[in-house]
Amino acid sequence: MAYSEKVIDHTENPRNVGTLDKNDDAVGTGLVGAPACGDVMRLQIKVGDDGKIADAKFKTFGCGSAIASSSLATEWLKGKSLDEAEAIKNTQIVEELNLPPVKIHCSVLAEDAIKSAIADYRAKQAARKSAT
Amino acid sequence: MPADPFERLGIPRRFAIDRREAEEKHLALSRALHPDKQVGASPPERRAALSLAIEVNEAWRVVRDPIKRAEAILQLSGLEGEVGETREPKPSGGFLMEVMESREALEEARASKERAAVEAVVVSAKKQREDVEGELASRLDAALALPEVERLPALRATIPLLGRLRYAARLLSEANTARDEIDGF
Repeated sequence: MAYSEKVIDHTENPRNVGTLDKNDDAVGTGLVGAPACGDVMRLQIKVGDDGKIADAKFKTFGCGSAIASSSLATEWLKGKSLDEAEAIKNTQIVEELNLPPVKIHCSVLAEDAIKSAIADYRAKQAARKSAT
Repeated sequence: MPADPFERLGIPRRFAIDRREAEEKHLALSRALHPDKQVGASPPERRAALSLAIEVNEAWRVVRDPIKRAEAILQLSGLEGEVGETREPKPSGGFLMEVMESREALEEARASKERAAVEAVVVSAKKQREDVEGELASRLDAALALPEVERLPALRATIPLLGRLRYAARLLSEANTARDEIDGF
């Protein structure tokens, strides 16, 4: 199957690969997997004092489309508010990367990862609030 | 997927297969359907034999592979809409964390060419795959033996195990690739 140029670019030069401290209160971690193909994806956001996403990192073990989807997601996340980030749809990723139908589930995984990172961040903030 | 790979090979539809029996049936069918055996047959008969031969090969490809075999059993048993792509239940966070840790450990060992560390992943992935496959075998076949009303939920409950088998198989194949790379293959 032929990958689009954008997928190849993100696979060969993935942006923002790495780890943020998952114990940091400002960091939200999303860990998701696609059991049908054995992929695993971790996506992390660090939220600044202004409420905007200051940094985003990912680590994905999976196919080129899964790596490209999460790489693109971290690029898009930086500078966004949580609400804006939450509004990112997998269909936008599909469109940007020109993913074929059989790879749409990779973009779904990336959207899941974004949502679960935001949920983790919010849960941490709520826990901190109720602790003080 | 062919209509029913088990039926095509003439073996019972279950996870624990007699591998030798299945292989022999595949060979016998392939031989009987071989174009060399179709001398004197009419063109439509030859075409039919050829397409049947393709189905037999495809059936063997499914049956010989534990993951594809389990998928076929579930799909043929009325769960075709629940297996594959994004339809399967999400793995638990704890399990995904384990997967992430082992994949990262392997990546590190591969990058620093630590053969012993890669070998350790090969060994543990192999054991993990065997364990999960064994559990899947007993639970799938036990589910298949249940009366119809209980069968479907019991089969459905094995889907997460199938997911774990795919993760274990994936880790093992990556670990084998890393080891071959270090050994200069």
